[in-house]
Amino acid sequence: MIDGSLVSARLLVFRVGTLAWAAEVDQVREILPRLPTTRIPGAPPVVAGLVNVRGTLVTVVEGWRALAPTETSQPRPPEDAGSTLILEVASGNGTKDGSGKKLVGFTVDEVIDMVAVGDTTLEDRGGLPGVDPTLVRAVGRRNRPGGAGGGAGGGGESGKDLFIVLDLAALLGPVLTT
Amino acid sequence: MDLSQYAELFLAESREHLSACNQLLLEWERNPAALQPVGGLFRAVHTIKGMAATMGYGRVADLAHRMENLLDQLRRGGKTPSDEIIQLLFRATDALEKSVTVAVAGRERDADLSVLEAIDDAALQFRPAAQPSGLARLRPEPAPAPADEPSSSAPQVSADATKSGPTRAVHVVIRPEAPLKGGRAMLVLKKAERFGAVHRLQPPSAAFESDDFDGRLEFELETSAAPSDIEQALRGAGDVERVVVGAAAIDEAVITTGEIPVTGAPNPAGGAGGGARSRHIRVDLRRLDTLMDLIGELVTERGRLNDLAARWIGRGGDPEIDDVAIQISRLSADLQNEIIQARMTPVWQVFDRFPRLVRDVGRQLGKQVSFRVEGKEIELDREILDELGDPLVHLLRNAVDHGIEPPAERKRLKKNPEGEIVLAAVRERSSVAISISDDGRGIDRAKILEKAKREGVVGPHVESLSDDQLLRVLARPGFSTAEAVTSVSGRGVGIDVAMTRIRALGGSIEIRTQAGKGTAFVLRLPVTLAIVRALIAAVGQERYALPLTYVAETVEYGTTPTTTMEGRDAIVLRDRVVPLVDLRKLLGTNGAAASPPPRRPVIVLEMGERRVGIVVDGMLSQQEIVVKGFDAPQGTLPVFSGATIMGDGVPALILDAAGLV
Repeated sequence: MIDGSLVSARLLVFRVGTLAWAAEVDQVREILPRLPTTRIPGAPPVVAGLVNVRGTLVTVVEGWRALAPTETSQPRPPEDAGSTLILEVASGNGTKDGSGKKLVGFTVDEVIDMVAVGDTTLEDRGGLPGVDPTLVRAVGRRNRPGGAGGGAGGGGESGKDLFIVLDLAALLGPVLTT
Repeated sequence: MDLSQYAELFLAESREHLSACNQLLLEWERNPAALQPVGGLFRAVHTIKGMAATMGYGRVADLAHRMENLLDQLRRGGKTPSDEIIQLLFRATDALEKSVTVAVAGRERDADLSVLEAIDDAALQFRPAAQPSGLARLRPEPAPAPADEPSSSAPQVSADATKSGPTRAVHVVIRPEAPLKGGRAMLVLKKAERFGAVHRLQPPSAAFESDDFDGRLEFELETSAAPSDIEQALRGAGDVERVVVGAAAIDEAVITTGEIPVTGAPNPAGGAGGGARSRHIRVDLRRLDTLMDLIGELVTERGRLNDLAARWIGRGGDPEIDDVAIQISRLSADLQNEIIQARMTPVWQVFDRFPRLVRDVGRQLGKQVSFRVEGKEIELDREILDELGDPLVHLLRNAVDHGIEPPAERKRLKKNPEGEIVLAAVRERSSVAISISDDGRGIDRAKILEKAKREGVVGPHVESLSDDQLLRVLARPGFSTAEAVTSVSGRGVGIDVAMTRIRALGGSIEIRTQAGKGTAFVLRLPVTLAIVRALIAAVGQERYALPLTYVAETVEYGTTPTTTMEGRDAIVLRDRVVPLVDLRKLLGTNGAAASPPPRRPVIVLEMGERRVGIVVDGMLSQQEIVVKGFDAPQGTLPVFSGATIMGDGVPALILDAAGLV
C-alpha cells in the first residue's frame, strides 16, 4: 500500500550501490559533500561516526552499509566521493528541544535528481529482490530517462529508472535509539 | 490581547511567590508568634491574585483572593495562629500551586478548590466579631482589584491614620552602640505596623538576629499618618539614632506593577523613595543555550583564524593580521566568559523548595528535624542545577527517613530529640561541592558488609568496608530493597539513581558515615558543563578529550612498577595500586593503527578515593573545549560525556572520568 502522505511529496532521488533510492525532500535538511567523520567506539558498523555541521554534531549513517550490505564485494568508491544528506527524522523518545526530531547524516554515492510525485508513478511493490521490505514505502519510476539511467537507450521501462522510496524512520530509528 | 505568550512568565513568577509562601509558612510554623511572615504571605498571595486575574485565570484568582482574605484577618488580628491554621495555609498554598499549574496548562477547570471551604470557615472564625469593618471586608471584592490592601483599625491608632493610604519609604538607624540592635529593630517594626502595612522590609526580619545586622533597616509603610507622628512613634522603640520618613510618593498601584514584572513597568520618575529596583530581566533559557552554541562556534573559528594567521605570516604576509587575531581571541574569550556567567544560577533556586519537603517528610514519619541550608548564593550552570533537584530530593528523603532517629530513640541516646540536616554548597577550585549531612544513626557497616558478602558483592575475606566501598555496595541497583538493609538503615533507595544522574553531569558522589553520629553525602559537580579545560590525547589515529577536572597527574608507562589488580594491569604509584585502562583496547583502536609507541603516557584520573590510569598513545595539547551533546547511536560505549569540535573542525569525543574510574 502506498501511504497517502506521499501523494503530494517531492522526492530526492539518490544512488547507493546499484540501486536508486528516494527520500522526501521535506526530510532533507541539506546536501553536503562527504565530511570527515569521527568514529564512535561501540556503535554498530553502519554508523560512520560524528560530523560537524557548522557547529552541530551529527551522527552519520553509512548508506551502503545500511542499504546494500550484500554488495560488499563490489568495489567501493573512494571515501571522499559522494555526498552526505543531512536528514531530519522523527524520533520516538523526543529530543532536547522537544521537537521530537533528530538530525542524522546519511552518506550516498550520488545524488541523482529531484522529482515531484506527480511526474512519476508510485507503485506498491513490497517485495524487491535483496531489499528489506520494511524499508520500502513505495517504488517509483521516473518518466524521463537520464540521471543514473544515463544512456539506458530510451527504454522508459528500463529497471535503472526504478527507485525505492525509503522509510527513513524504519531505517534510521533503530540505529539512533540508545 | 493574547495573553498566552505570558503564561510561561506567569508560571515562573507565581512559582517564585509560592516558594516564598512556603518559606514564610515554615518560618511561621517554627515561630507562630512572629508577625513578619503573615505580611509577606499576604503580599505574595496578593501578587499572585493580581497576576492571575490579569491572565484571566478566574479560579486561581478566586482561590488567591480567599487566601488573602484569611491572611488579612490573621494579620489584622495579630494573634498567634493555631497549628491547624498554619496547616490549612500549607494546604491552601499547595492548592494554589496546583491550580496555577493546571491553569497555565489550559485546564483551569481541573483546579481542585476543595480547600476553599476550610479557608472561608477559618476566615470567618478569625473575623474580629465586634468590628463592623470586619463585615465590610467580607463583601465580595472584585478579584483583580489591586487596591484592597489593608484598611482597618488596629486599636492603638485612629481609624483615619490607618486608612489605606500612600506608601512612605522609611529608613531607621539603630544606635551603633545599642546592645540589642535586633530587638530594637523588631520593636520599630511592631510600632510601624500599627500605622499600616509594612512592605519591602530590608533586611528581612529574620536577619535582625544575625551578628551581621548593622542596625539599619528600610521599609515602605502604607499609611496616611503624618511623617512626624510616624517618626515620633518609631523613636519610641528606644536606641533609635535616626528616622527618615520619605515623602508619600508611591501609591499602591505602582507598588503592584512593580511586583508584577509581566508589565515590566519601570517605576515612574525613578520612584522617589522606592529604593533600588532590581535590574534584572528574564531571559528564555533557550536563548542562552543558543548564545552558548554560537560562542562555541566562534571559539572554534578563532582557533582556525589563529592557525591561518600564523601560516600567512610564515609566508611573508602582513604581521598585522596577528594583532587582529589576538584581539579577536581576547574579545571572544571575554564574551565567552560573560555568557557563561549569564547562565550561572544561584543554588537557592533549587534549594528553596527543600525546607518544605524536609518538613513534610518529617511530619509524615513523626521525626523532628531542623533543616539548615548553607551557601545558597553559590552558583552553578543552569543546566546542572536543573538536573540536581531529583538526586537531592532522594538524598534528603533518605536522610529524614533512615538517618534521623525517632525523637524517643534520640532522647534515649541523649541526643537532641530534634535531628539536624544540613544542606550546604561550597565552591571548590573548579567544582562545587554540595553536602547533605545528618546527625542521625549513621550506616551500620557490619550489617552492610555481611549482606554484601552474602550477595557476593565483596569477597569473603574482606574485613571492613571503606566509605568508598560502602557507597559502591549501596549504589548497586536494588541492593537496598532487601529486608535486612531496610530495617538496618535502608540507605540505597534511590542512591543508584542519584549516582547515575550526578555522574551524567560529570560529577561524583562520596559518602562519609559514622555509626551513631550521622551520615554525609558529598556531591561534586563541575561549575559549568559548557566549557572545560581538557587534555587532548592521541589513541591510534584518533583524538580524545579528557576534562582536567579529574586528572590527578600523568606518568609514563614503564617508569613505575607494574603489577596486576583483580586481573587487570596496574601500576604502583606512591605505594598505591592504580588499575590501568588501555584506551586502545577499550575503544577498539587496535587494528586501526600501527603498534603503539614504546613509551606511552598514563593519565591518572581521580574521583573521590578511586583512581584509574588511562593508557594513551600520546598527549597532544591542553586546551579549552566546548562541550556539546550528540545523539549517541545504539551500542555506543558508556564512557563518553559528549563531544567537542577541534580547531580543524573535526569532532573529538570527550571521555567521561566517571565512566572510566
